[in-house]
Amino acid sequence: MRPDGARERPDAATGGRERPDAGSARADGGDPLLAVEGLTTVFHTDKETIRAVDDVSFVVRAGETLGIVGESGSGKSVTARSVLGLIDTPGVIEAGSIRFRGEELTGGNWDAHRGDVSIVFQDPSNSLNPVYTVGNQIRETLRIHQGLRGRAAREEAVRLLEAVGIPDARRRISEYPHQFSGGMRQRAVIAVALACDPDLLVCDEPTTALDVTIQAQILELLGRLQREEDLAIVFITHDMGVIEETADRVNVMYAGEIVESAPVDALFESPQHPYTRGLLASIPGRTVSGDRLPTIGGEVPTPTTEPAECRFAERCPDAFDACERVHPEAVRVGPDHTAACLLHEEAYEHEDGPSRRSADGRGDPTDGADAATDGGGLG
Amino acid sequence: MNRLKYILKRVLMAVPVLWLGTSMTWFIIYQGPVDPAANLLSGSERLTETKYEAARTELGLDQPPLQHYVDWMWSLFTLDLGQTWLIYPGSSVGALVLDFLPRTVWLGFWSVLIAVCVGIPLGFYAGIRSNTVADYIASVSGIVWRAMPNFWLAVILLAVLVGSESLLGFDWDSFLIRLPTGVTGNPGLSYMAGDPLALFTQPRDTLAAIKKVLPAAVVLGSASMGNEMRIGRTAVLEAKNEQYVEFARARGVSGRAIVWKHVFRNALVPLVPVITTEAFLLIGGSVLVESVFGINGMGKLFFDAAIQGDLPLVGSLMFVFIVLLLSINLAQDVLYTLIDPRVGYEGT
Repeated sequence: MRPDGARERPDAATGGRERPDAGSARADGGDPLLAVEGLTTVFHTDKETIRAVDDVSFVVRAGETLGIVGESGSGKSVTARSVLGLIDTPGVIEAGSIRFRGEELTGGNWDAHRGDVSIVFQDPSNSLNPVYTVGNQIRETLRIHQGLRGRAAREEAVRLLEAVGIPDARRRISEYPHQFSGGMRQRAVIAVALACDPDLLVCDEPTTALDVTIQAQILELLGRLQREEDLAIVFITHDMGVIEETADRVNVMYAGEIVESAPVDALFESPQHPYTRGLLASIPGRTVSGDRLPTIGGEVPTPTTEPAECRFAERCPDAFDACERVHPEAVRVGPDHTAACLLHEEAYEHEDGPSRRSADGRGDPTDGADAATDGGGLG
Repeated sequence: MNRLKYILKRVLMAVPVLWLGTSMTWFIIYQGPVDPAANLLSGSERLTETKYEAARTELGLDQPPLQHYVDWMWSLFTLDLGQTWLIYPGSSVGALVLDFLPRTVWLGFWSVLIAVCVGIPLGFYAGIRSNTVADYIASVSGIVWRAMPNFWLAVILLAVLVGSESLLGFDWDSFLIRLPTGVTGNPGLSYMAGDPLALFTQPRDTLAAIKKVLPAAVVLGSASMGNEMRIGRTAVLEAKNEQYVEFARARGVSGRAIVWKHVFRNALVPLVPVITTEAFLLIGGSVLVESVFGINGMGKLFFDAAIQGDLPLVGSLMFVFIVLLLSINLAQDVLYTLIDPRVGYEGT
């Protein structure tokens, strides 16, 4: 463990900039639908402790779509599973709070709110139990959450299948999941998820396993359901194009942390974190045709210790010496727009400037001025 | 295709298997190294050419092979099983099979049932509570059961039961139901002859027959019990980590419903072939246990008949074994379709 102050940055030096917290959303009145604060989910393995989600905070308001984007291994899915209380040993939610309509969920209170938050997984071929009919699984859910049985449950199940756009629902309700095509199966999964009558639907890469035309249909369906049922959606994907189409706000995750958070337009127009810029640059079609598609070299590190540096520094084109020693916290860079990058902290701009770091220029960790500011936190 | 049509198709497909199996039996005995005619003349008789030829004529071995084959197959498939050549010479094969078969089936049935009823619940329990002390105890005992050889376990169990008065503090012979004939010997099944319903209407006799066969059934089922435990444990572990189980949890399905409804039925799928394969092994391969416990079953009978080259008896027993195997296979396929809807009636 590091000393308490170590995680603080030299805020005193950032002058007039305010540090927005996750709780800032409460400023616009009332509890948000979902408020996640300081969520830290770790997995204890024999060798080490993997900090899959590390100090993540965000809010979801009723009816909005929050996109969470990042590479594989950035902690998106673990965030989703944490919110739904699906973390099993060896994983554990080590710190933080998850509040749904102001009520705390961590500490085993999920069972009281099962169904308020529902989930759609990536692979529809695995989400439904293969030995029971689709109708059986919808009715099972309807009985638990809406107390419907017998004919009423059957009618409602047919209605749900029709709502998600499955033709001939009355017949297909007694079919098994393997008798559905991939796209139809994902629609059926969504119908089962909706049978919970949720206020928040977490979609964990719901279109990744589907081909492009089916993808578009599912996205359209989710958009329609959101309007009709006034759903809030947390949309997890690694596909920036999908994010642009669906999300109202976007959290960019990297190595278990949220590195940038912004409304979707602001994020695409003026990305403030080098990682976000890298992601946007690597969307096919955004580059001049004929050029090689830019990529971010290297891969996401697996975080095993509390961060003492910027986890992206190793791959960052703009990294400078301080990035190796100081862990950046979210800084407000625009209206409702934060980025966790030292480039946006005046203290470092003044000292080092965002100059490119040379290969051998990695800073000495005990280097004078920075070491002093590092230790002398806000308190 | 509906289920009835499917079963009918499977039965029709069984006919060639039956024909091929019995034909091969005929070929091996008729053309093989065992000479039934020479065996018929064994003993003190002096082997002369005329006596040997007379024996061959008596057994019908002097006919042209094709004619012998056709005659033999015809009588087999019309269930005219004839008389034995060498084993209990001159007895009716049909009567012999009817006498021996029930004992083997009775033994096999109870050993399969005991294995299934102990092994699968134990395995499922260990899978649900994986990596707990209970799991380790169950897993280790499963391996121990599996590792103990049949014949050794049979002898030990026999010794313990014979000396039960001093070793265990109660007398096995008079425990629950009195068995006057002791631990070994044939289970008394004759009360059911001509009236299969006596199985239920005469519970005292049934209980006595079960008790008689129980030690042998436990020994015979021990290995499969261990197998089923281990495979059941793995199957549950696999099923409970499936995404549909996670989805069910997210939907608020109770822990109990997840285990009983979502996990167990899927975990049964890999167990079906294990059970049916073992069922056949138990019915066919029980010679050792049968001889230790003094049960006159088909295993020993088949062994003797095959060694001596008693064609009518071997052929008939082979016929019975193949029919048993095919019905167990059919039962397995039907079980599959009942448990797992993905196993269709087409293309199998």
